[in-house]
Amino acid sequence: MYSVQDLHEQHGGRLDFELIAGKNGMKKRIKVPEAHRPGLGLSGFLKGYSYKRILICGRVEIEYIRDLEPETRVERLEAILSAQTPMVIVTRRYRPPKELIQICDQKEIPLMRTSMATMSLLSKLTMLLSEEFALSMSCHGTLVEVFGVGVLIQGDSSVGKSEAALGLIERGHRLISDDIVKIRKREGGYLEGSGAELTRHHMEIRGIGIINVANLYGAVCVRDYKSIDIVVKLETWDDKNFYDRVGLDEKCCDILGIKLPFYTLPVKPGRDVVLLLETMALNHRLKGMGYNSAKEFSTKLFEKISGKPGKKVPKSEEAYN
Amino acid sequence: MGLHTRPATVIVKLLQNCKSNVSFTYKRETINAKSILSILMLAAKKNSNITITVDGEDASKVMGQLEKAFETGFGE
Repeated sequence: MYSVQDLHEQHGGRLDFELIAGKNGMKKRIKVPEAHRPGLGLSGFLKGYSYKRILICGRVEIEYIRDLEPETRVERLEAILSAQTPMVIVTRRYRPPKELIQICDQKEIPLMRTSMATMSLLSKLTMLLSEEFALSMSCHGTLVEVFGVGVLIQGDSSVGKSEAALGLIERGHRLISDDIVKIRKREGGYLEGSGAELTRHHMEIRGIGIINVANLYGAVCVRDYKSIDIVVKLETWDDKNFYDRVGLDEKCCDILGIKLPFYTLPVKPGRDVVLLLETMALNHRLKGMGYNSAKEFSTKLFEKISGKPGKKVPKSEEAYN
Repeated sequence: MGLHTRPATVIVKLLQNCKSNVSFTYKRETINAKSILSILMLAAKKNSNITITVDGEDASKVMGQLEKAFETGFGE
């Protein structure tokens, strides 16, 4: 539940909000991430008008209200404001008409004033609200930045996620969060992970206890948030399972509707998980740069056995030919 | 005092060898109860409502043990 009070507390300073009226409505919920200039509504046209949006009054709106006869002013303002309206913002530090103040107090709608220009407030507010309303979830896992690649390490308890992360930190990579990762879907179709407020930069290592990574290894080893680029699942080695040996078919997993490359990494004594995770991250970067080791190798092999150097390999025959 | 380090340790120890997946839900946040940091992250106060979900073959046994632990106040 995102209320007007939350918005005021979190971003009131940056948006330069000053509460003028409607203090009793601060607990009001903002239901839709939309801000709206009530131009047409103010002129009396209310077909399809929605009361759930935040109203922004800029220069034009204020001048228009001023031009109206006092009775019409009240009538029109009452028509566009309802108890559902989350808040009204007046930009450019205009003094709100006294009718507006009265109605806002009456209907308990917070009325704010800001020094910002209408357009920049509108764009900033839309951005903040859409971030706040973005899909999010928390998941069990560890998020580490390895060579700039956000690696989400998943796996059952005590498989060695934290130990792997600690090893990575020791080699100069960065921890975002251990144990619990808050994932948020961001504008532009990517996922961003961050840690919980209380346990941020803390880790629990069996046999040692809770440690603070930022204090132990320094500020360079931690980050507050990072985009998630690949997901790696650690699991104890199972002899019956067939693990990927070539790397030609790429698996994906779905988090909040976004597809991410997914790898399963079996763990057993003698396998250096830290080194393997580093290699995975590097390989992912290489793929991003347009070079796929497995495909390149398979193409080379195809050329060699078909005896026609330089022949372009059809896509369908690329694998295992 | 709520779910502070000692009770959390008791819970984690209790769940260490169980096969089921155990999760706690508090204030719309669901966490894996086998991880101590996750439990601590909830920062649940005394007398707050936590929903416990146990899923797996030994679920009823685990639930019984958990109930007992909560009822006895983790041996305090």
